[in-house]
Amino acid sequence: MSLALWQKCLGYLQDELPSQQFNTWIRPLQADTEGQSLKLLAPNRFVLQWVSDKYLTRISELLNELSNGQPPQLILEIGSKRTVSAPEAAAAKPVTPPGVIVRTTPPRPHFIQEPETQVAAEDTAPSLIEAIKPAAPALVSSSPSSGSSPVKTERTVQVDGALKHQSALNPNHTFETFVEGKSNQLARAASRQVAENPGGAYNPLFLYGGVGLGKTHLMHAVGNYLVQQNPNAKVMYLHSERFVADMVKALQLNAINDFKRLYRSVDALLIDDIQFFAGKERSQEEFFHTFNALLEGGQQMILTSDRFPKEISGMEERLKSRFGWGLTVAIDPPELETRVAILKKKADQARVLLSDDAAFFIAQKIRSNVRDLEGALKKVIADSHFRGQPITTDFIRESLRDLFAVQDKQVGIDNIQRTVAEYYSIKVPDLLSKRRSRSVARPRQVAMALAKELTNHSYPEIGDAFGGRDHTTVLHACRKVKELQEENAEIREDYKSLLRALTS
Amino acid sequence: MADFQASQLSLSIGLRDDATFANFFPGDNGYLLDALRALIEGQGESFQYVYGPQDSGKSHLLQALCHQADAAGLRSVYLPLDELALLSPDLLEGLESLDLVCIDDLNLVAGRAKWETALFHCFNRLRDAGKILVISADAAPAKLGVKLPDLSSRLAWGVTSALHKLDDEQKIAAFKLRARERGLELTDEVARYILHRSPRTLRELFDMLSVLDHASLMAQRKLTIPFVKETLRW
Repeated sequence: MSLALWQKCLGYLQDELPSQQFNTWIRPLQADTEGQSLKLLAPNRFVLQWVSDKYLTRISELLNELSNGQPPQLILEIGSKRTVSAPEAAAAKPVTPPGVIVRTTPPRPHFIQEPETQVAAEDTAPSLIEAIKPAAPALVSSSPSSGSSPVKTERTVQVDGALKHQSALNPNHTFETFVEGKSNQLARAASRQVAENPGGAYNPLFLYGGVGLGKTHLMHAVGNYLVQQNPNAKVMYLHSERFVADMVKALQLNAINDFKRLYRSVDALLIDDIQFFAGKERSQEEFFHTFNALLEGGQQMILTSDRFPKEISGMEERLKSRFGWGLTVAIDPPELETRVAILKKKADQARVLLSDDAAFFIAQKIRSNVRDLEGALKKVIADSHFRGQPITTDFIRESLRDLFAVQDKQVGIDNIQRTVAEYYSIKVPDLLSKRRSRSVARPRQVAMALAKELTNHSYPEIGDAFGGRDHTTVLHACRKVKELQEENAEIREDYKSLLRALTS
Repeated sequence: MADFQASQLSLSIGLRDDATFANFFPGDNGYLLDALRALIEGQGESFQYVYGPQDSGKSHLLQALCHQADAAGLRSVYLPLDELALLSPDLLEGLESLDLVCIDDLNLVAGRAKWETALFHCFNRLRDAGKILVISADAAPAKLGVKLPDLSSRLAWGVTSALHKLDDEQKIAAFKLRARERGLELTDEVARYILHRSPRTLRELFDMLSVLDHASLMAQRKLTIPFVKETLRW
C-alpha cells in the first residue's frame, strides 16, 4: 500500500524535478515498509542529508495529497533492503566460500545516537556532511490522526551495519590461476611457503610492488589454500580502509572490545594496501596491538603495500619495523614472456581464442602492469563480440588504437628525458650536456636505462638522443643502473617511481 | 491547490524529455550503446569507462543507463561531478548497496587527493560486491592526470571506449529524433535551418527544442521556418 503510494509519488517527482536531480538524489532511494510506515533507504549519510534538506518537504506534500490527507509515517534512514534480487544473488554467490568469517552485527539499539565526539575526525578536512549534520537526532513522529494539519516528518538516523562485512576471498584468485614469471617468482614461492606453513617463520609476509602486479591475487591464493586445507580456518581478507572504517564504527558504537575480539580471533589476517593507514594514528595504534596479539598467537598475517615498508611515510616507526620481522618480498612488473602468458590464460578463462601472434602483439605494446593488460584484452574481446569479428592483429590495432596512441606517446625518449629531469630537479639540457658531475651523470644513466627498457630504440639511437654519446656509454649506463638497483634501495625506488610515472 | 492543478495540466500535455536510450542518436557509437545496454542484462564487463569530448553525449548516455536500470528493477545513481565536485567525496560511501553507479565527468576531480582516494575505495567496494560501475571522462584513463597510481591502474582495468561526436548530418538526425520523442514534427529543412544558425552543440539545440515545444503548444502552430524565426527572434 505504502509502496504503491511511493511509486505514484516517484512519478510526480520525476515530472517536477530536472531529470539530473532525479537521477542523482531520488533514484538511489529504496522504499520499504515497516508496519504502517513508509521507509526510504539512502545509500549513505550524505544522500540522506541532502534529500532531507531539499526534497523531504515536497515528498511529504505529495504523499499527503496522493493519500487524501492520510499519509503513512515516513522514515528516512541509511541502509539497504536485503532483498535477494536476481543480480544481487548472482553476485553474492561466488564470494562466500566455506570457512570465511561472516561477522554478524553486534547487538545494538535500532536507533543510534550520533556520536558526540567526532571519531571520524581522522579523515582530517571537514566535510560538508559534518557541517550540516543535525544537532540532535530525532525519532519519527507524525500525526496521522489530524489530516489537515501540515505534515510533519522528522528523520531518524541509523548507523548502518556496524562491524558487519563479508570479508570474502575471491575464489578465482588461486595459485593455479597465478601466472608465474621471473618478476614474481620469489613472491609466489614465499606465498606458497606461508600457505603450507602458516604462522611459521614468515610472519608477517609483506608483499610490495607497484599497482596491478598481483599482490592481491597472491594474498587471496594463500587464503584460499588455507581454507581448502582446513575448511574451518577463519581467514579474513580486507582492504586497509575497511579496518579503519570498522574501528571508527566500533568507537562510535562503544564496541571497541568486539572489534578487538573479532580481529584477534582469526587464523589468518590479510590486509591489502597497508599504505592507506598513513597519517591515521588511531588506526595504526589499534593495528599495532592487533599485530602483536596475532604474532604472539602464531596467527598468520599477510600485508601488501605499494612500497618497501621503510618507505611508507606517515607510518609509525615501530609498525614499520615490525612489518619487516617476517619476510618482505617485492613483485616487479612482468617481463614480455610473462605478459604473453597472462594474456593467454585470461583469454582461456574467457573462452576466447587468442593466437600467439595476437598475444605477443598486445604484450609488446602494453608493458606497465597486469591491470592495463587485462583492460586491453577485455576491450578487444568486447569489440570482437559486438562486431562479430575474429581477433587478428589488425583487429587489435583498430580496437586499441587510442590506447596504443597513449602508450606510444608516453614512451618517447624526449618524454623520458623530461620526466627524469623533473624528478631530479635538473634541466633536460644538463642530461644532454658533457657534464659528468654525479648530480647529472646518475640521472643521465637512469634516463638511458629507462629509454632502453621502455622504447624500441637501439643503443646507438639512444646514445644519439643523449647529446651524441657512444653506444657503449649507453650499454654501461644500463648495466650500472641495474647493479645500483640491486644494492641501493634509494635508486631502486627512484627507478620504480619513474617507471610508474612513465607507464601508468 | 489551483496552482497545483495548473502545473499538472501543462505537464500532462508535454511529453517528458528525459535522457533515455530511445532518444539517444547512436551515430558512430552503435556498438558502445549495445555494450552498455547489455550491462543491465548482466552481460559484459561490469566496469566500463567511456570518454569523449564535450557534447558527445556522455551525460545523456549515463542517465539513459539509470533509466534502463530502473525499468529492469535495479537501483542506480547518477553522479554528475560538474555539480558534485564542490561537495564532499563522502558522497561515494555505501554506494555498493546499489546495483549501478554512474559517475560523470571524472576528469573534474582528477588530481584532487581526497576525491581520488574516495574513488579508489568506492571502486574496490563496488568490485568486491560485484556491482556495475560506469565512469565517463573527457580523456582516456592514462591521460586523465590522476595522481594516485592505485586509482589510475584501476581505471584502466575495465573496458575503455571512446564516444564519438556527431557530425552535422548526424546532429540533424539526432535533433529530429529528440523532437519526435517529444511529439514534435520537425522537417529536415527546419532542422537544418536551426542547426546552421545555432551554436551547434546538442545541449543548446535540445534546450532550444524545449523553447520551441512550449511556444508551439501555446500558439497551436507547427514548427515552420517563419515560426522558428519569430520565436527565437532571429
